[in-house]
Amino acid sequence: MSSYWLPTSIDGFLGEIKEASLLHFILEGFLVAGLIWFIFRKSYKSHNVHSLSKEEEEKIISEWIPEPLVASTPLDHPALKPLVVTGKAGHYIDVNGQRCLNLATHNYLSFVDKPQVEERAIESIRKYGVGSCGPRGFYGTVDVHLELEEKLAKFMGMEEACVYAYGFSTVASAIPAYAKRSDIIFVDEQVNFAIQKGLDASRSRICYFKHNDVKDLERLMLEFESEAIKNPRKAKVTRRFLVIEGIYMNTGNICPLPALLELAHRFKCRTILDENVSFGTLGETGRGVTEFYNVNREDVDLIVGSMEWALGSIGGFCVGSSFIVEHQRLSGLGYCFSASLPPLLTAAAMASLEEIEKNPGLLTALQEKCKLVHEALTNLSEFGFSLSGHVKSPVKHLYLINPPEDMEKHRCLLHDISQYCIKNGVAIVPASYLDHMEAHPHVPSLRITVNVDLTPGEVEATSKLLQKASSEFSLS
Amino acid sequence: MHVGGHGGANPNTTWLKSRGMWLSYILGILVLHLIILSVPILSVAMAWTVTNLIHNLCHLIFLHSLKGAPWIPQDQGDCRSLTHWEQIDDGTQFTKTRKFLFAAPIVLFLLTCFYTKNDTSHFIVNLISLVIVTVPKLPQLHRVRIFGINKY
Repeated sequence: MSSYWLPTSIDGFLGEIKEASLLHFILEGFLVAGLIWFIFRKSYKSHNVHSLSKEEEEKIISEWIPEPLVASTPLDHPALKPLVVTGKAGHYIDVNGQRCLNLATHNYLSFVDKPQVEERAIESIRKYGVGSCGPRGFYGTVDVHLELEEKLAKFMGMEEACVYAYGFSTVASAIPAYAKRSDIIFVDEQVNFAIQKGLDASRSRICYFKHNDVKDLERLMLEFESEAIKNPRKAKVTRRFLVIEGIYMNTGNICPLPALLELAHRFKCRTILDENVSFGTLGETGRGVTEFYNVNREDVDLIVGSMEWALGSIGGFCVGSSFIVEHQRLSGLGYCFSASLPPLLTAAAMASLEEIEKNPGLLTALQEKCKLVHEALTNLSEFGFSLSGHVKSPVKHLYLINPPEDMEKHRCLLHDISQYCIKNGVAIVPASYLDHMEAHPHVPSLRITVNVDLTPGEVEATSKLLQKASSEFSLS
Repeated sequence: MHVGGHGGANPNTTWLKSRGMWLSYILGILVLHLIILSVPILSVAMAWTVTNLIHNLCHLIFLHSLKGAPWIPQDQGDCRSLTHWEQIDDGTQFTKTRKFLFAAPIVLFLLTCFYTKNDTSHFIVNLISLVIVTVPKLPQLHRVRIFGINKY
């Protein structure tokens, strides 16, 4: 065994190193010099390093136009004449003191003013108080949350559900929990604003396909596939998602789910289905668009629903396999960092859900009413209105057949029609969008929502009123 | 799993800045060297070369090959394309941690040269391993993938 070599004297050391070649020393000298250079460099940030020249600075300063904190508002701005709703927004609604038939708020199954639901909420206040005091993972979980999750999962026939405190943030959190920067998302161009915010937050590459156009989606997917063949290593780490809505809030159409799922299966996409309108309205027992088309619910990876429309409460939920849903409990930002749903609203949602389970006749009644409204509004085509939306959809959009060229005038006209209807006892509102923030422009429309309590007489009266409005504003 | 509780979007590298890190690192190399030295068939020169090679292999794997973070950081997958070296101090160059990790293989190489008495075959092997771990540490090669190696 060799002993540890240590030079015993300077001569010994020099003697040893003389044996090595000169090249070694030159290289070692370079290394030492390089190391010293490295150690004495000042640190800097590798990106975002750009300094402006004097001229560029001047240019930017001269281009800046200061904006007043509060801009002057035109006197006819709608915000100056707000519609004030008093009391419950049930089948009838009081707008500015005028009693109106409610075709404006989403209350499809009339759970908003149902006494049973109200009682359960009041009972819950007596037991738990009003708030839940914290996020789900931080003292905010109450037994009713777990109970509701279990009920929802059972109702939808999936493994697990998680409940969010706010419908908007449900899908807006669920999408970025799974889709990350290097991923790609295929999405319908008419998806609602919450989905669009989720897409923004995901930082993924977004591919919009034409509304309900399976051919266009296939084209996009084939395009991506050819890209993937060119660069298989990149494609291997790119996850693909398909995001669709059951019933599109912005058009009232039902998605062609079987065809979409087939494509998703063919191109190995994970599917996220937003059922905010279709949950509790479509299918014989209200289980949504999957029941409507009778497709296997497990073929959809994640179903997102809202409890704010059909269930008449607040909040949203995701259902899927435990493996998928569990991920959100630590990665869904809206789930982790928002105070949980107040127990009273959880109890109310549960009461509504039980009602749907107990009484599937509600769904048939709603679908009949949808059909009734659809027929009544389709007949308005000779009065200058065209209707969009599926017969069974509780959300319908009325478009003007001959709208003014100017977008602003178009919107004003719809606003005036809405005001006219409200004055005459029917609450109808134009669909409102944040136009500058929407990914794709929406044609302005009047959005009609169907309520299960509508009577044929009321539908008839509404139709008559819109005919009158048509002649009032000379639409036809 | 999501990370939380400390405010950093990606805490994958902050531990490198913690107190006693440099001392632990040096002690780690020393322990590694002593273990190798205790293998009877290895000469001192061989032990130094093996120490150096293992050290550089660790740098290559953990600093320059593995990408991303072991948990889900709140950066929407920003760090998924970055090696650990590139994530250090959020990409700021010439920080203390970077200087230390840059100096470590060089100092170890010089020591190895010294203890192998500049033997040419040892020298060549050690130099190659040194080049492999120092070149990707240069700021000019930040986020650069030569020949697309380890790009995705």
